[in-house]
This record gives sequence, structure tokens and C-alpha cells, in this order.
Amino acid sequence: MEIDYRIYEHPIIRFKRGRRVRFYFEGRVVEAYEGESVLAALYAIGVRVFTWSKKLGRPRGAFCMIGKCSSCFAVVDGVPNRRICIEPVREGIRVERQRGLAEIPRVEDVEPVETVNIETDLLVVGGGPAGLKAALTAADQGMDVVLVDSHYRLGGQLVKQTHKFFGSKEYFGGKRGFQVAEELSKKVLEHPRIRVYRSSEAYGFFDNKVVGVAVKYPKPLNLVVKADAVIASTGAMEKGLLFENNDLPGVMGAGGAQTLMNEYGVRPGDKALVVGAGNVGLIVAYQLLQAGVKVEALVEIMPRIGGWFVHAAKLRRYGVPILTRHTIVKAIGENRVEAAVITRVDENYRPIGGSEKKLDVDLVLISIGLTPDTRFFSQAGAVLKWIPELGGFTPIRTRYLETSIENIYVAGDASGIEEATTAFIEGEIAALSAAIKLGYGSKEAVERREKLLSYLWDEYRLSPVVSRARAGKLKATVSEEEMMLIRGKKFGGV
Amino acid sequence: MIRASVAIVGGGVSGVFTAHYLVELGLRDIVVIEKNYLGSGSTFRCATGIRASFTSREHVELMKYSVDEWLRLSNIYGFNYLRGGYVWLLSNEEELERFKQYVSFQNKHGIPTRIIDPPTIKELVPPIREEEVYAGVHDPLAGKADPFKAVLNTAYRLMEKGVRFYTRTRALRLLVSRDKVYGIETNRGVVVADNIVLATGYGTKELLKTINIKIPLENIPHHALITEAFKEAFKPLLVDWATASYIVQTFYGGFLMGTDIPEKPDTPLINRLRFLYKITRVWTRYFPWLSNVNILRYWTGYYVNTPDHHPILGPIEEYENLYIAAGFSGHGFMIAPATGTAIAHWIIDGKPYPEIAGNLKLERYRKGRLVKELAVFG
Repeated sequence: MEIDYRIYEHPIIRFKRGRRVRFYFEGRVVEAYEGESVLAALYAIGVRVFTWSKKLGRPRGAFCMIGKCSSCFAVVDGVPNRRICIEPVREGIRVERQRGLAEIPRVEDVEPVETVNIETDLLVVGGGPAGLKAALTAADQGMDVVLVDSHYRLGGQLVKQTHKFFGSKEYFGGKRGFQVAEELSKKVLEHPRIRVYRSSEAYGFFDNKVVGVAVKYPKPLNLVVKADAVIASTGAMEKGLLFENNDLPGVMGAGGAQTLMNEYGVRPGDKALVVGAGNVGLIVAYQLLQAGVKVEALVEIMPRIGGWFVHAAKLRRYGVPILTRHTIVKAIGENRVEAAVITRVDENYRPIGGSEKKLDVDLVLISIGLTPDTRFFSQAGAVLKWIPELGGFTPIRTRYLETSIENIYVAGDASGIEEATTAFIEGEIAALSAAIKLGYGSKEAVERREKLLSYLWDEYRLSPVVSRARAGKLKATVSEEEMMLIRGKKFGGV
Repeated sequence: MIRASVAIVGGGVSGVFTAHYLVELGLRDIVVIEKNYLGSGSTFRCATGIRASFTSREHVELMKYSVDEWLRLSNIYGFNYLRGGYVWLLSNEEELERFKQYVSFQNKHGIPTRIIDPPTIKELVPPIREEEVYAGVHDPLAGKADPFKAVLNTAYRLMEKGVRFYTRTRALRLLVSRDKVYGIETNRGVVVADNIVLATGYGTKELLKTINIKIPLENIPHHALITEAFKEAFKPLLVDWATASYIVQTFYGGFLMGTDIPEKPDTPLINRLRFLYKITRVWTRYFPWLSNVNILRYWTGYYVNTPDHHPILGPIEEYENLYIAAGFSGHGFMIAPATGTAIAHWIIDGKPYPEIAGNLKLERYRKGRLVKELAVFG
């Protein structure tokens, strides 16, 4: 019987599938569509176990789906430890799963990679909402821009947003996230002053002046970028949750399920439990319904949901139980999730004995929070601060979003977990700041930046739903004078 | 105020092992202070190699002792230590002739090194490209250990025995009166002790400045990287002599490698592209498959060098109760058992054991008695 989890009917998205591609998976032929990742193609045909752990040989499935965790390592054409969630399907490639630690690669003949040195005014690392907006803003100010993204398509998490932005037209009110992603990506790719490198990972900041970028496709290249300013809009990563069997295939980050459904048009399962009722949990639960997945329950350990009420209302209309003061106890199953146990908790978040309930699910989505992806800043030596309201570590910055490393800016979720709208605004603020500092900005640019800062801090962030993020971002922001002192200090350093 | 019989400044392998040997000799009233977290100075950054195959009497004697002790300590504290050997890769006749002299010196001192040919190298290092090797030197008793557990397992057991550890406690200056150093002022208060040991790595020079003691130490940035983990591919630590590069597979499975690039003393630690270009060029020549292996981390740390590339150990002339354990010039990890033993005996007996450690006091520079070594390789 042919297993096919691909979605063919969706209320919002029309999945444009590319031409047919065939590759080999452990000896058998797999049919996929150009544009899919290897993992999505395998998931579509029912593969759920992608690797086995090193010590105990436990089966592991996909978790983040965006190349940031290590759940889906496989051997591709003899090379181990490839993240197949961001590996594009190609005709004839051979994919094998890994059991524990891999043997060293069997590949002998290797072509040395060419190093290309380029110069630019602004390097943008990460082409999600903040990065796309930053690149366009800077280019419009007359700057030469290079944008790099580790994925093979631009848009970051925006490509998975199916609901419409609310608010003004300026911030895409009335448009769906994936439409905005398409629009902005197109503008960026067509802009004469923006050079784009996709499937390209910025691997570090060196000698206090250049950024190394590993370009993977179409031709491997070591791109060394000397930029007068860098905006690192590197986004965020899913947080995991501790519970028994939290590593079973079928337990995945909510964002991961979103990627499968909305980007690749693959149904992540049949019956789901969603853990966490912040915006991500609420939105993804609704998207599961749109993709034809039954949502048995949404559990939230706090006494109240954390997200916008409007998202919760949609779920209630469909009869999805939203259980506050509840959490997951364990997942049950041998090679994949077969059931999950939830429980009610008291004011101290401790399980109330006797209130356990077993749910018949094959999917457990974890949406308990994201944490900023600070790897680039950490390697570059920026001062990071642990701010729980923002999801974890994040670089400290001035109000103009410049970090403790001069001319390196932060924008978007990397500056603290917030929203797509704030990502757009921060991307613009960072780009205007870089432009102004380097002499590109006009009087209008300075005025525009003040207007944006005012809107962000004195209007948008006053809403109760983002008040926690606002408090967090206040903690992360230091004055220009303080920043100069911090830059001058020898930071016990080593 | 904290009081102790012995205060050890520095919570790396040198400081922690010194505490171990003091406890073994019966002394427990010990305080160890560490400015960040245990091992965060140089120990957790090191190449993890351990060998007695040096070319000076001092290094050979102290390392022969240390090699035996590594086995004993690894059993007591339950950390990984393997005598997987070292292989020096030589690239021409001239190097081979020179190494024949070193091997001769080593054999005379009971170190079983031997010259080996390419097929033997291939046996010891199966994934190596045999065409690239000319000749080699093998030290079968050399090896590697897990620096993390060596420090942490030991420290935790010492804590159970009553040794007090204060981390995130930074020594700001030494406190002196007459001919004694009576304590250390830290950012969290004063520590008073009868004996003070400075196992402070790259911070030693600055700390001694606070009591106007000059010490010929230079902090030189060095670079290392580690790859993702694989099943065990080869056991020995390899040294490419011509390029001053090394590679070793750690117990966790990653390949740890380093090489020398030009750096000025006492400059900040910065990641450099030049290091990456050199290290990848060197080791992909011998292991082309490394081209398909991901680098997980690249870090920079300090070698603390002395003029004769030998450690500075023991008491100083100006203050009778201050003991130095620094300037290991890239070999601090491997020599830590000898360091700890020597300092512990100095404090308790008034003289070091092994005795030859007495040749390494700070005063040797003033007296013109620098140690001579045939070959210096970090």
C-alpha cells in the first residue's frame, strides 16, 4: 500500500510542486518533487525514524526541520552527518540512515574549494523577515548589500505563516506570511544592489574584520566577505522539553511541524497534542486543522494562554480543547509516538495525582518557547546576556541595535523572541543605523529611524501580549556611553 | 575572610592535581580559588596529549613520572586515559637524521621511542594516505586523557574530602608582609593562608606584578579546532613536524587539531582565517576525507612560554611561602602530576619530589641556569 502524507487540498496554500526527482534511500527508489528537502520527501512516504542514538540506540525522528538540531543526520552520497531537513532532493543521490556514531567518510577524491574575497558595504546574515527588510532598506539607502542564508530558499519562518497579518498596510496587514515572504524574496533577488547567496552558511567572524561564508550550492565556495557593517538576523531555535520519551519520533518542535505542512505540503501526522499555548502553539494548532490533522488537545502549564486571543478563538470554534494548568507527563510508543499522557498541575506547577489522561495521538508538538540563535554573535565575541523574557542568551545592544562589537548589528528573533512584525521593524532600524553611521543615510533616514523606534517602544510593544518581550528588550539595551565602556573593557576576557 | 593552610590560586589541572597530592600526603586544609569555572583557563582548551619523549633530562624525568601517575590517577578518579601512542611524521632525510639523535637520547633515558617506516605508520594510523608519509617516530607509551573529567572528577572527590573550592573568585592581588605572602585579595574577600600556590596560567605574570615580582612569562595565542564525532578511526596523536601541526581523535570521537601561526605575545585571543587555511591544508593532505567533515568549534588559548620552554616550579627567593606552578610552554596538562607532586612535597617536606623539579625554580634565569633541550616542539 502506498503511503502518501502529502497534502493535496489545503484551504489556504496551493502547493506548487516542481518536477519529479528520484533518489535512493537505503537501496530503494524514492519519488520526490524538486524543491523538497530529503526529509520532507521521506516523511511523505511514511519514514519516521531517521537515526539511532549513540549510546542506547534509541530511534530518533525529526525535530526542528530547519537545520538547527541534530535529529535527522544521515549519510548522503557517502558523507555522514548531513542534515537532511535542509538537504535539497537531487536526482540520483544515495541516502542512508545513521546508527549512532558514523564511520569517517569514504570519500577520497575531493576538489579543493576556491576562496573568493568580496567587499561590500553591508553583509546581512539570515534572510528571514528581519534580514530581508534590512537588505532592502540598506539597498534603498544606496548601500551595496550581500545577503546570505543557510537555507536554499529565502524567507525564514515567514514562509510558513498562513494567517493574515493584522494592522496597517505598511506592515502587510491583510496579507498572509508566505505571500509577504514571496514578495520580499522576489524584491531582494531582483534588486541590482543586493547580491544573494543561498545554501550559504556564515561560519564565523575572523581577524576582527571578515566573515567567512561556506557556499554549498550550486558550486562549493569559500566566500570571505569584508563588510563595513554586518546585520546578523539569525533567528531562533526551538526549545526542547523534558519528559519521559521526549526523543521518540513524532515529538517535534511546533515550527518543525509547520515547516512540513506549510512549506513542503506534508501532513506531519494524524492526531496531535500541542504543548504550549503561546502564539506559536495556538497558530500551529490551527494550521494542523487546515492540513487535515486532528488536534486532540492543546495543553498550557500556566493558568492563562500566552498568545493573542484571536488565535485561541479560532481553535475553540473547531472544538479543540485548550487545557490551561495542564502539561505532558510522557510520550508512549516503541518506534514512534502512539499515545501521550497529560496531567493537571497545581499553583506550583506540580502534577495533581489522579488527574492523568491518556490521549491517542501520533504527534506531540512542543511549542514552549524559542531561544535566540546566538551562535554567530558568540563566536564573534559579542557580549551576551541571559534574559529569560527573551528566551535565553541574546547580545546586548544599543537602541540602534548595534552590539558590543562595533558595526555588528542584531535584528529579529536573534535580538530576543518576539514577532514577525517586530522583526521587520528591527531589520529596518538596524539597516538605517548602519546606513547613517556609514554616511549613507539622509535626514529622512534619521527621522524615519526615530519614528520607527517610537512606534516600536511607545506603541506596538505596549500591548499586553508583547509586554514580556518589551521588558526583556529593555534589559538587553544599553546606552551608547555604556556600550563604549563595555567595548573598551578587557572582559576577564578569555 | 577565608583561612587555610594552603591556598591554591587557579582551578585548572595544575591547581587541582596539586590539591590531590597534598591530600594524599595528609593535608586537607586547602582552598582552591578559580576566577571563572574549573578548567576554563587552559586545561579545557588543551590538546590532551601526554608523552615523556622529550629531549631534556628535566622533561624526560618529570614526564616519565607523570606518565606512570596518569595511569594511577585515571583509575582512582575514573577518567579516560589511553596510551595510544604518538607518531611524529617526518618529511625528509634531514628531519630523519635529526630525529635519530633525539631517539638515541630518549632510549638512553628509558623512553622506548623508535624510528618507523611508512607501512608501520599505516598500521598505526589506518586512514592515513601512505603516499604522503616519508618516515616517522613512534612513542608507544605516550597517550591522551580526558581533560574535563581529569579536572572535574578529581575536584568533586576532593570536595568530599573537605577541600574547599571557590569558583568565580578572582585573585586581584597578593598580600605581603615582610618576607611572607600572607594572603590573596579577591573580588569576594580576602583569603589568608600559610602557603600560597600560583597555578594561574596566563594570569601569573599580572598577579606577580602586584608584589613587584618579575617573571619571564609570555602569553602566546594558540589555535585549535575540533570536528564532529566519528567512530574511533585511529588511536595515536599525530605530529606533522615540518608544519608544527598535530591531530588527535578525542574519546568523544571528534578530531582535535592545532598548528602554529605567527602570533605576538600578550595579544588578545582572536579567531583567524589563516589558522583555518593552514590546519585544513596540512591534515587534508594526509586525510583527504577530512574535507567532508564539519568543524564544530574553533577556539584560541594561550601557551604560557618561558625562555627555555620549561616550567617554572617551586618557591621564589623573595617570599619563602609562595610557590609558582606556571610557564608550562604548552605542556601543562601532561606534566600536571609531576607539578602537583613537586609542589606538595615542597610545601610539606621543604624539598621537591621528583628531585629534578628543583632545577626549575624561578631563580634559574637570574643565575643563568636555563635548561637546555635538543628539540623544542609544543
